Parts: sequence; structure tokens; C-alpha cells
Amino acid sequence: MARPASTRVVVTGLGAVSACGIGADALIEATQSGTSGVKPISFEALDIQRVKTAGKIADSDLAEILGETPHRMREPVAEYALAAAREAVAQAGLTEAHFGENCGVSIGSGFGGAQTLDRNYLKFGAEGSMRLDPMAVPKIMNNAAASWVSMEFGATGPALCLATACSSASQSIGMGMQMIASGQVERCLVGGSEACLEAGVFRVWELLRVMTADLNRPFSKDRNGMILGEGAGVLVLESLEAAEARGATILCELSGFGTNSDAGDLLRPNPERASACMRMALRQAGLDARDIGYVNAHGTGTVANDVNEVSALRAVFGDTLEGVEISSTKPVHGHALGAAGALELIVAIGALLRQSAPPTLNFTEVDPKIGLEPVPNAAKATPLKAVMSNSLAFGGINATLIAEAFAADV
Amino acid sequence: MSTDRETLTRELLEMVAEEGMVDASEITPERPLEELDIQSADFVMILMAIEEKYGAYVSVDNELTDVVTVQDLLDLAISKIEAHQAEEA
Repeated sequence: MARPASTRVVVTGLGAVSACGIGADALIEATQSGTSGVKPISFEALDIQRVKTAGKIADSDLAEILGETPHRMREPVAEYALAAAREAVAQAGLTEAHFGENCGVSIGSGFGGAQTLDRNYLKFGAEGSMRLDPMAVPKIMNNAAASWVSMEFGATGPALCLATACSSASQSIGMGMQMIASGQVERCLVGGSEACLEAGVFRVWELLRVMTADLNRPFSKDRNGMILGEGAGVLVLESLEAAEARGATILCELSGFGTNSDAGDLLRPNPERASACMRMALRQAGLDARDIGYVNAHGTGTVANDVNEVSALRAVFGDTLEGVEISSTKPVHGHALGAAGALELIVAIGALLRQSAPPTLNFTEVDPKIGLEPVPNAAKATPLKAVMSNSLAFGGINATLIAEAFAADV
Repeated sequence: MSTDRETLTRELLEMVAEEGMVDASEITPERPLEELDIQSADFVMILMAIEEKYGAYVSVDNELTDVVTVQDLLDLAISKIEAHQAEEA
């Protein structure tokens, strides 16, 4: 049997739950219209809470996702992933016959079961209670979301869970893409899930002091930090052959994946490594930088990230950044950490499908240290052939994905 | 300088010494923090102590990027603390 040639990978389904609502369309629409899902948030367990907003899933959406009787073995992080996966699978039109060994799952998470971990520690620490959740271990483990998704659909191929902080989802999507491209599986459910808006987690983010107590304003002169988010994004990836064989509707092609490590500082980013990561993705896609019409930046709104990322973008796209639209949609959905890369790839694919670059909300003034006007405050109609999404994580782990409008002949 | 501000400055200098783990005698307002080997992790500790004592939140961000010397840090902390006190009043 001959070794299969590298295979083209296409996207046939999208699913998301986020602060913008249930569904990939809700997310895409909110990012295009510039409607923020950031809401007030407060924690009873916190005596001190300086940051009072987050990209939180609305209570009514949460009730719908969790159902009337919450599952005893599932955390919100698993329920979010399942809700997103069901939507993506339904859109792709997959049936039982399409799963089994030929389908993998690659769903990352930064924190895993943060709710169970946080609430059990709190109970143990504050009350000294020995009556903790006996299902805590299988709920907390990072791979719970990936495992529940594989069980739901009977996907018995490889199941992965990468926990690489803010690059978890982008790397998970890239790994799924590689499994298909190498001929290991025909399709893969890929993405990331995060349900980290718990008192203890929130407080330690506050203490790291990278969150703003004001509005999140990526690339703005007066930006002052990020806003946390939560949710899940899942995509159905398939080999072009498998998608065509079952007559699937192809949304776009996933053609480039780059990932690397700064191997430098745990928290401080390195622009040279971020640009090398983008170049790796371009090389795999066989594209030039000028082919990319839109970049969904990591764009957290912290001084360090935004200065670093724009410097990296200039190295790749040229000093003037002409011909490429760049924005951060984090003011709309928040920084969803381990789910961020999936939500943002879906947003970038939304831009490709609608031929419209989504805006950077709350943008006020160009920062002279950055010199970038990032599609400020209103979407911009623009012809797009290919789009890029960046994730630049703590730990110095970078990941870039490129999606292209699908053309049968390349 | 008001007495309050003098007290505040003294308390803040003590805090920088303690949280930054440097000898108080080495700290003078004009010295760059880098020279005192006060790094980002120490900043976070100092800012946490400021929050605990005075209730003012300073993010490790825009405002902090121009801080070079001990005096810069004191100025920023004092302005944040005073703004916070005005808010509470």
C-alpha cells in the first residue's frame, strides 16, 4: 500500500458558545456588528474585586447549555465543548457512519475543570469539609471536554487535549489538521473550551495585573489590559476527499498552521518568534503575506502583547502593513484563553465568508509606539481570499492558522 | 509636600524594599528599579501590597511602561492611591 500524499483539509462545520450567545453565527454577527458580550461579573467569595467585567456567557444561555438537571460528571467546560461540537457536527451533516476510527478529536483547554477545582478547594479550605465532589477528578482533568466529545459521537480515532494556555485551541486545531493531512484520519473535531470565570481563577488573573478595570481597547494608546472571557469553539475538519465523497458543503479550506516556542521568557513575548510562526503557516499554505487580507490578532489589549504582535506583523507583512486589515475582536467576546484560538478562527472564517473585516471595539487613538489603526469600531467590507488568526500564549507558545476561500483546483 | 504624602512616600519606600527584597538603605528615589534588580515579578508583589494597604488597583500595563526610577513608581502609586481615596470620599 502506497503512503498517502499530503491531503488538503477543509472546514465543513462550525460551532460556538460564547459571551455573544449560542452558535457560531451569534459570534460572527456580534464581531461584525461590534456588539460586545462583555458583562458585569461579581464573585461572592471575593472580598476584593477590582475588575468587574468579563466576557461571560449569559445566564439564559448557560441554563440552556447545562439543561434542567446538570450532568453529575460534566463540568461547564465539557458542556460548552459538547454544545459547540453538536452544532458543528449538525452543520457538517455528519452521521454515525462518519465517526469511528476515522474521526479524531482535538480539543484543548487551558484550565480544564476550573469550577470543580475552585469550589472544592474553597469548601475544603474554608469549611474543612471532607464531603467533596467524588467526581472531582474526572471533572477537573483537562481532557474531559475532548473525551466527552469523542464519547458523544463515537469518535474512536486519536483524542488529544493540548493545554498550552492561550494557544491551546489554535494548536489543537493545527494538530487535528495535521492528523488529516498525514492521512491518519479522515476527519477531526477540533477546537478549545474554557470555563474559567471562577472566583479563585479570576482573583489570580487580577493579581497578575494584566486585566483592565476599564474597557478593553486593543492597540489603543490608552489601553490598559485585557478582559477575561469563556466559551468553546469547535470546527469539523475533513480531508477534501472525504468531504467530497459525502457531498458535504465546504465552508473554506484550512491551509496553514504554524507553531513555535520563544524559549525565552515565560510571560514576556518575543516578536521574532511570533513572526517566524506566521511565516511557518504561510509556508505550509503556499501563500505570500500579500495573499492574506485579514488578520484576527491575538490583540489582548495589554501593552506588551500589542507592541510585540504589531512588530511581528510588520516583519511579515511589511513596515506599512498595507493591504492587510488587522483587528482584535477580544473586546466583543473577551479573552477566552484555551478557547480563544477556536472562537477567533471562527470569527476569521466569518470574515472570509462575509468578505468583511470585523472591527476592534473601543478603539480610541493610535498609539505612537504601535502606529496601527486596527479596523476601528466598525466592520470594513473588503475582498478576502485568505485570513489568518494568531494566538500568542504565556509560556512563549505561538500558533498561527490560515483559512482560505475554497477553490476546487489549486 | 503634605504630611500625608510624606507618610505615604515613606510607607511606599518600605513596601518597595520589602516586596522587592532589597535593602532599604540602597533605595533612593532617583535610582532606576532595574539597578536595584526589581523585576516584573517584584512589581506584581509591590502592586499587590499597595492594593492590600490602600485599595488602589494598578495594572501592570500602560501606566507602568514609563516607570524607570523608584520616584516614577512612587509618583504613579501616589496618584493612584489619591484617586482611589477621592473616589471613596
